[in-house]
Amino acid sequence: MSTFLQKFFYGGIHPDDRKVSKESAIQEAPLFPTYTVPLSMHIGAPAKPVVKPGETVLKGQLLAEAGGFVSAPIHSPTSGKVGPIASCVGPMGNLIPCFTITSDGNDTAAEPMPALDPKESSPADLKKRVGDAGIVGMGGASFPTLVKLSPNKPVDTLILNGVECEPGLTADHRLMLEDPETILAGATACATILGVKNVYVGIEANKPDAIAKMQSLASKYGVQVCELRVRYPQGAEKQLIYAVTGRKVPTGGLPMDVGCVVSNVGSCAAIGEAVLQGKPLYERVTTVTGRPVVNPSNWRLRVGTTYGQAIALAGGVSEDPAKIISGGPMMGFTVYSLDVPIMKNTSGILLLGPEELHQFEYHPCIRCGRCNDHCPMQLMPATLGTTAENARYDLAEAWNATDCIECGCCSYVCPSHRPLVQFIRRAKADIMTRRRAAAAAAKAAAAPKPEPKPEAPKPADAPKPEAK
Amino acid sequence: MGEYISLILGAILVNNFVLSRILGICPFLGVSKKTSTALGMGGAVIFVMTLAGLVTSIINKYVLLKYNISFMRTIVFILVIAALVQIVEILLQRISQPLYKALGIFLPLITTNCAVLGSAIICSDEMYSVVKSTVFCCASAIGFALALILFSSVREKLELAKVPVPLKGAAIALLTASILAMAFMGFSGLGG
Amino acid sequence: MTPVIVLTVIGILLALAIGLVLKFFGAEVDPKVEQIGALMPGANCGGCGFAGCNDYVNAMVEGRAKPGLCPSMNKSTLAKVSEILGVVAEEKEPRMAVVCCSGDDNHAHRSAFYNGVTDCTTANAVAGGGKACPYGCLGMGTCARACPFGAIEITSAGIAKVHREICVGCGKCVAVCPRHIIKLVPKKVDVHVFCNSPEPFKFKKGVCTGACIGCRKCVRASKPGQMNITGFLASVNYDDAPDASVVDACPAKCLRLTDAPNPVPVHASAPSLAPTTGKPAPAIEPATK
Repeated sequence: MSTFLQKFFYGGIHPDDRKVSKESAIQEAPLFPTYTVPLSMHIGAPAKPVVKPGETVLKGQLLAEAGGFVSAPIHSPTSGKVGPIASCVGPMGNLIPCFTITSDGNDTAAEPMPALDPKESSPADLKKRVGDAGIVGMGGASFPTLVKLSPNKPVDTLILNGVECEPGLTADHRLMLEDPETILAGATACATILGVKNVYVGIEANKPDAIAKMQSLASKYGVQVCELRVRYPQGAEKQLIYAVTGRKVPTGGLPMDVGCVVSNVGSCAAIGEAVLQGKPLYERVTTVTGRPVVNPSNWRLRVGTTYGQAIALAGGVSEDPAKIISGGPMMGFTVYSLDVPIMKNTSGILLLGPEELHQFEYHPCIRCGRCNDHCPMQLMPATLGTTAENARYDLAEAWNATDCIECGCCSYVCPSHRPLVQFIRRAKADIMTRRRAAAAAAKAAAAPKPEPKPEAPKPADAPKPEAK
Repeated sequence: MGEYISLILGAILVNNFVLSRILGICPFLGVSKKTSTALGMGGAVIFVMTLAGLVTSIINKYVLLKYNISFMRTIVFILVIAALVQIVEILLQRISQPLYKALGIFLPLITTNCAVLGSAIICSDEMYSVVKSTVFCCASAIGFALALILFSSVREKLELAKVPVPLKGAAIALLTASILAMAFMGFSGLGG
Repeated sequence: MTPVIVLTVIGILLALAIGLVLKFFGAEVDPKVEQIGALMPGANCGGCGFAGCNDYVNAMVEGRAKPGLCPSMNKSTLAKVSEILGVVAEEKEPRMAVVCCSGDDNHAHRSAFYNGVTDCTTANAVAGGGKACPYGCLGMGTCARACPFGAIEITSAGIAKVHREICVGCGKCVAVCPRHIIKLVPKKVDVHVFCNSPEPFKFKKGVCTGACIGCRKCVRASKPGQMNITGFLASVNYDDAPDASVVDACPAKCLRLTDAPNPVPVHASAPSLAPTTGKPAPAIEPATK
């Protein structure tokens, strides 16, 4: 049963969707001679290597195991020799440790894990499989799915995020068209793990073919397809939950606080493969798009493929791109190197041509209030921006800066071209550092014997909700 | 009763000490950077001015007028107010440390606050009775505190505004105060 | 005559009242607090570890802290403070901040053009702020704005520089630098390694011509233990510092004296950074500043 436009979330924008690659079927990438596999492709602790340099590995073999509860293992994308652990440029511009796998050209697969049944197998087995396969949120946040599937609050609803509201990206769209059964098998496995009955698939109304496809399989897998209004950021976790169920996640809360778990369709497909075929997560569907790209298209790329290789697969560029973005144009990260490897969360590579890229000087806030009208979290970005600009992060905290999902709607609509998201992120980083320091101080005060431990507040941001 | 209401309203709004009579500008500009300090200062002024109004009107009536030396009132009032504030400070430190810490530097600052002296002199000029003087001084102080807190809230916002470099600091504060004063002119006519 | 008498009487009465109140109701105030407070610099820099000068004075008088924690207090003032407190003054090694980076616009390559908020912490979160070296100074002045003494200048070459004569070593800049390249060092040591990148030589040479190349020449030119090399990065042993002459040994000119200028390379060319790409390389020409 299709439920059309159940709820509207507040605010949001409607950018030109530019999904030029939506007709392009997912193509298999050829084997590359080397792969650069980062040790940290997820939020949380980096994985711990279990192979030594010089060792020969097979495709899908474990390279590194989870380094903590919030962590995920890493598997080899092909068969070949493991090089010494080096560093490579990550999408955030920092150097991250990585394996270099030199392919032996045979692409021999390791023995897959035994197949499980998504409905009949025990939840514990399925959960272990999700963890062993190294599944993370593939919509962008790369939060380990195992953690997501272990809520400590009662959950009654699973929502599949097939919204893909970021302009340009079509990876999830193609996946829903071409491999819906695997997605729904993965969803069934998640539902079994969580023990929930209500499974919804949220898809934006601009993908009627995907909706029809999912609809045709809905009764077989017992899911409900929700056609959602085309509006960015419809795919953000909290907005999606509101649109589908009408529940509002409280300030500072998580989806499980309202009994929901949201999973990206890409992650569900990966779970499906892990459960049905015993295949760990070492490849993903990525959109290579943008005006300079000769053939904007969708590719099944292995992790460790560089952006340069991916762009070359899509026919290279017709003009010099001015900007390379990992992910979508609204929430993606600008990268400056083509040596950045594809990671588990790289949903797209977007190139912008010189005439598409507008460089603005930003001006003072004119208090027009447009950002307030468009903020889907109903915050006041203008106030947050001004407080952060003046380094009054205490005030930014009082105005709930930490609730910002960094969707970029405010920056998009601002007539003064103010980099509001950047301001808010700065404030958030400061607030998080202070909170961590306070927590550490409280911990040290509570401990009977204060041990001198070096505390290094990491500048990592808060886990971001998925938005696509 | 109506007389007192118009007296209070007049002192708080129409003839606001800071914005209409332009008295007590120093603390008005000096301690209005934060609303929390403005609240402390406002409380201290209300406390001291009420007390000063009571004491000075008594002295005015029973000493100055009696010996016909009203021309001496300024120096006598300053002496009395200064001594009063000192005594209050000493007592406060003994009786209530939290209140003493909250008022902090504001208490000694009030010693030289012309608003306190001004209110005492206005009372003596207008020949107010002791009760009326006390009420008038208390209301004036409330008006002072109101202006101070309003202004400090504006200045807190002003801190986040882009101000042209030559106007930064006291200049923009004075401009803001003038606009606030103009806004208070709208009250003239209220209460007769 | 009456006015004189009245005024005198009022004055005497009030003086008596104050005196009596003080005698019977006065709370004790430590005179030391006021005396020491007058000697403090009053910059409230927090370099002592307390919330401003007053807090530190109270802590000293209450015996919770030692004198000499104040980085900007000179010796004679410190002696006076110690005398008031009745303790022996403890010498505090004067320290200063040093920006350990040679990567100004003449040396460091830019990987991209950064157009956004002019703040190092903010820029650092966006693909490293456009600087190719992930350890290099971004030169957007976050440290200069944090300095309560105005001791840090962003030079015309786009790098932070600490003025030795103004810096008191309070460490505020050290705390705010997102790249952790500012170090607090003893002021008497004049030799510093102006590089903070432990990355391999190959990487460093690709991003900055002023980087320490780990050639060990400084180690050989100094006494054992005075200079150390960890990985590809030399470091000065600040407990046993080498002579100033050791800087002549450095071929990269990244071992320099505190105030020595960073020499502009003779063939200072616009840094070009063509990223190594896949097969049909799409040339990315990042706008350089």
